[in-house]
Amino acid sequence: MLTTIVTSSHLLVITLLILPILTTLNPSPVPPPWATSQVKTAVKLAFFVSLAPLIIFLNEGTEAIVTNWAWMNTLTFDINLSFKFDHYSIIFVPIALYVTWAILEFASWYMHADPQMNRFFKYLLTFLIAMIVLVSANNMFQFFIGWEGVGIMSFLLIGWWYGRTDANTAALQAVIYNRVGDIGLILTMAWLATNLNSWEMQHMFTASKDMNLTLPLMGLILAATGKSAQFGLHPWLPSAMEGPTPVSALLHSSTMVVAGIFLLIRLNPLMENNQMALTTCLCLGALTTLFTATCALTQNDIKKIVAFSTSSQLGLMMVTIGLNQPQLAFLHICTHAFFKAMLFLCSGSIIHSLNDEQDIRKMGGMHRLAPFTSTCLTIGSLALTGTPFLAGFFSKDAIIEAMNTSHLNAWALALTLLATSFTAVYSLRVVFFVSMGHPRFLPLSPLNENNPAVISPLKRLAWGSIIAGLLITSNLTPLKTPIMTMHPALKLSALIVTILGLLVALELASMTSKQVKVSPALSPHHFSNMLGYFPMITHRATPKVGLILGQTMASQTVDQTWLEKAGPKMITSAQLPLISTSSNMQQGSIKAYLSLFFMTLCLATLLINSL
Amino acid sequence: MAGVVGFQRWVRALTRARVAGMPALLSASRAASGPSKGMLPGPYPNTPEERAAAAKKYNMRVEDYEPHPDNGEGFGDYPKLPDRSQHERDPWYSWDHPDLRRNWGEPMHWNFDMFIRNRVDTSPTVVPWHTACKHLFGFIGFMLFMFYVGEQFPAYQAVGPKQYPYNNLYLERGGDPDKQPEEVKNYEI
Repeated sequence: MLTTIVTSSHLLVITLLILPILTTLNPSPVPPPWATSQVKTAVKLAFFVSLAPLIIFLNEGTEAIVTNWAWMNTLTFDINLSFKFDHYSIIFVPIALYVTWAILEFASWYMHADPQMNRFFKYLLTFLIAMIVLVSANNMFQFFIGWEGVGIMSFLLIGWWYGRTDANTAALQAVIYNRVGDIGLILTMAWLATNLNSWEMQHMFTASKDMNLTLPLMGLILAATGKSAQFGLHPWLPSAMEGPTPVSALLHSSTMVVAGIFLLIRLNPLMENNQMALTTCLCLGALTTLFTATCALTQNDIKKIVAFSTSSQLGLMMVTIGLNQPQLAFLHICTHAFFKAMLFLCSGSIIHSLNDEQDIRKMGGMHRLAPFTSTCLTIGSLALTGTPFLAGFFSKDAIIEAMNTSHLNAWALALTLLATSFTAVYSLRVVFFVSMGHPRFLPLSPLNENNPAVISPLKRLAWGSIIAGLLITSNLTPLKTPIMTMHPALKLSALIVTILGLLVALELASMTSKQVKVSPALSPHHFSNMLGYFPMITHRATPKVGLILGQTMASQTVDQTWLEKAGPKMITSAQLPLISTSSNMQQGSIKAYLSLFFMTLCLATLLINSL
Repeated sequence: MAGVVGFQRWVRALTRARVAGMPALLSASRAASGPSKGMLPGPYPNTPEERAAAAKKYNMRVEDYEPHPDNGEGFGDYPKLPDRSQHERDPWYSWDHPDLRRNWGEPMHWNFDMFIRNRVDTSPTVVPWHTACKHLFGFIGFMLFMFYVGEQFPAYQAVGPKQYPYNNLYLERGGDPDKQPEEVKNYEI
């Protein structure tokens, strides 16, 4: 009976979310309040409906796998519409809906001057549906539908202001980088289909028990690198900040970017026994988290700092998967959604209040001018750095403890701890430049946070950032036994490095008003500010080589080859030496002919005599 | 009847032939919609008069006009413009096409589609190219090397092999419940 409630509630959630889209499929235009009256209400209602399976799961541990419809079935291969409502999707869906509800309410204020707000909400809703399809998929085909869906909606939403060329470039970047990751996913899907003969999760896990899975796992890791912005395929995430702030809050902090990590969590049984895949995840995640934290240290755009912070946390989640702790990674996904979405919403509120100013060097003093927003910013930053007993602490500290007590690559451990201290540094940088000190903007700014559409979402997300970690950890039994006994230094290491980072940042902040050196050391600053020169080099060299090669091949090389090099000119160059040699030989010199005649005569006589 | 006449007129306009109807369409004398013969690129200009005519054709000054070298690659008299992308053009000037930062009638670079604002950027960088390459690839190389070193010296090295209870987990490993397992003692008194 309870499984019926779980299943029906989830399917009802998906139906509730699809209904507003169906009302837009007729030619007549939707009424102006459609966005708030239909979409936001649908999401809010869906959230409350999804709480029912959550409570049942927390109480009874009910999980369900439902196969609704035999979609494409051949003799050897089945593709069905099947949903897996296990503890990952049952917990993730309410959290995603809660965060989306807050973001939609905020977007009704942020985008109120936009003439196409209804279309904006429709895109956000389509994205949400694709995301829920992704997390509840029980086979790779359905998962792929959700995967591509979130990719396309990301493209449409990043390029929302399509008149701006930079937004178009950013949207293209997102799509192209995600496509590179999709190569890995499709490779894996093809391998799984041909070798395990199924795309259903349960079949794949049982059939792959003793197989060598290195190739498909590398494909999966490539897919996660693309979607979750790991090092190598990461530049799209900071560029994606060209989209409106609600898009950044929903897609590029809480939900879409975790799809890659979620893929690895879902398919963790395939990864458990493959040490190479785990080490790759560990090292890649550690490199990502340090690199992006380094880049965040010197950025001046508030949204870029938060974007790099997201990328750094995604690296941390990848590290956790490399530690073979998918549940901890999932816990971090859930807690991260709350405080990161809140950080983005605070940024959005501040940006709009300062007349669309995004440079933190031109903000300041918001502590007294927008107290609620800067309070939420502070709470979000504290949760991000892992302040004890806020949401981030339960997941982040558990991850670092697991790292400290595991038998793994020492350099990965060092990088992760360093990145944790950098997190504290750039979080303090944001708070210092935005909230503290005196205002550095013009006096007549439309400062107004006194709007319930701004305050209520921030309040809800602030509550989430404070208690979500506690709620989830106290209600869920961990599937893997955490190591409880360790040296106090190891236990406190996360806190120590965070406090160290905070102290360093405070010291640096106090130095901003004094000139300590005659000329600053520019080299590390440039490395960090220009994002490690990675976008500069990759986005100039790679397309240039590819496009010039393509152009030359298409317009010159093919023609030149077939019409000259393989055709007449080759024949000419092959024949000419022969022709010139033979014609040079026959120049009418009698002596040569006579000597040849006599030589032939002697040779023939000798041969006949020897026979 | 009117349709046939209209069709014939259309064919006549398209082909600029004196004959109307299908035979004209099927013949080779068809007008290309676009540049006329005088506006298309031509052979490599050898004499100064040809260079001047080519520069006028491409709407350039004679001093600026420089054709591609004549090495058999088939460029003809198409001008060789400097490899500068549209990123480097003034963003505040009121161009005819603001997104392309280009005016009407301007000579197009051979690789114009590569130099639009969505693609390759040739604008000068704060840090020189070779320094940037050195730093980035040095960083990546250093990280890869250190990861390799870290694999050789893992953290939290175990001091001894793992010891399991219940006779080395005899039943959990699929041992026969009826048979008596061999005693495994992990301690000494």
